[in-house]
Amino acid sequence: MTTVEKKEVQAKKEWEPQIVAFCCNWCSYAGADLAGTSRIQYPPNARIIRVNCTGRISPEFILASLEMGADGVLVSGCHPGDCHYSSGNLKLRARLTIMKMAIEQAGINPDRIRLQWASASEAQIFADGVTTIVEQVRALGPLRREWK
Amino acid sequence: MAQGSSCWGCFQSLIDIHLNLATVLPLIDIKYWQCVADFKLKDLEGYPDKSITVGLYEGMARTEEDIHLLKLMRAKCKILISFGSCSCFGGIPGLANFSTLEECLEVKFRNNKTVKDGEVPTENLPKIAPVVVPNSTIVDFEIYLPGCPPTSKLILTALTALLTGKEIELPPHTVCHYCNRERKETPITEILRPFEGIADPDRCLLEQGYICVGSATWGLCEGQCVNHGATCRGCFGPPPPITTDQGAAAISMFGSMAPLEPEVLTEKVLDPLGTFWRFTYPTSHLGGIRIKREEVKTK
Repeated sequence: MTTVEKKEVQAKKEWEPQIVAFCCNWCSYAGADLAGTSRIQYPPNARIIRVNCTGRISPEFILASLEMGADGVLVSGCHPGDCHYSSGNLKLRARLTIMKMAIEQAGINPDRIRLQWASASEAQIFADGVTTIVEQVRALGPLRREWK
Repeated sequence: MAQGSSCWGCFQSLIDIHLNLATVLPLIDIKYWQCVADFKLKDLEGYPDKSITVGLYEGMARTEEDIHLLKLMRAKCKILISFGSCSCFGGIPGLANFSTLEECLEVKFRNNKTVKDGEVPTENLPKIAPVVVPNSTIVDFEIYLPGCPPTSKLILTALTALLTGKEIELPPHTVCHYCNRERKETPITEILRPFEGIADPDRCLLEQGYICVGSATWGLCEGQCVNHGATCRGCFGPPPPITTDQGAAAISMFGSMAPLEPEVLTEKVLDPLGTFWRFTYPTSHLGGIRIKREEVKTK
């Protein structure tokens, strides 16, 4: 992110997207760690929650975060085939696909949810993913603005 | 016993306890029951507060009259039972939250296919609320008896317990507990619509690819549908504690068993909101967001 963009972010004091990021312990959480230690710049909007495997994420977690005020949800896990528990990420992918459709039916833009694969060494992909969802959600505006 | 916006199916199920009515009826004194006893709303309004021991409220509260009746029942009854899935979770009438009130009126009255020059009736009718809210947000209930309808056996168990002053003991198992089909723990290879293929009568329907939400549903029905070859649609709502999100749990289970490509899923699961949240949309997280959105609009 360039300095010009950074200033823009700081100027908007009223509303900042609040993103809940679910990261799996084995790949993405380590990837996020690496992003930090490698000093990669990415927006601070994501609140990272560590789960043992993305397969542990029930749709309930994501829907509850949206209901409780999150503007977007990021799910970050191991690449398909790389799951520490062999297929947890594939299960999550199936759940998320159906949930995105349900969310769209309920009148919420499915762009508020993002699924990405980032391994422990892919700090840049993780940081880019966070930037993407933050920008996507920023473009959509706060979830509560849709209610008006 | 009072009825909001609903189909009367739950009270029908109550009457279906047949010969047992002979033992139950002499023990009770009906104070108000629109369709059965000739008491008017003003009779109910005239009773002293907390004078009725047990009240059953069927259906959800969409019109102003329903809301008035529900509040009135709460004031007059010592024990108020939320009777049936509509009353507990919003049920089938809760699916109206998919559309706005204007869209509903459009389909039902203005552009009804069977009516010429349709218009929205206004005379002598109570106002309709813009959105279906769960009854539990309007009043508190002592007992929730879900089901679409609650089975006659369940009603009899509950009524007998109430009449003898005992606690109602209900098993907390899901539908899968009562299902006689065999699970082989194999992943789903292909998702099937109910009319496709011929289901193996001895194997788990979900494993065969038919979407069955029995794993997320309270099994007070004792697995009637699944044991007769139909998938569970989730009419009894989530198992206790019944405040959990049934659809989310069902999708969680479904996703665990069908780790398929997203393209396959989007092609085969056509109406996820109506499939997984058919009976519990207003009380679910997504329904909560929908209701809040409407509340902001009306403010």
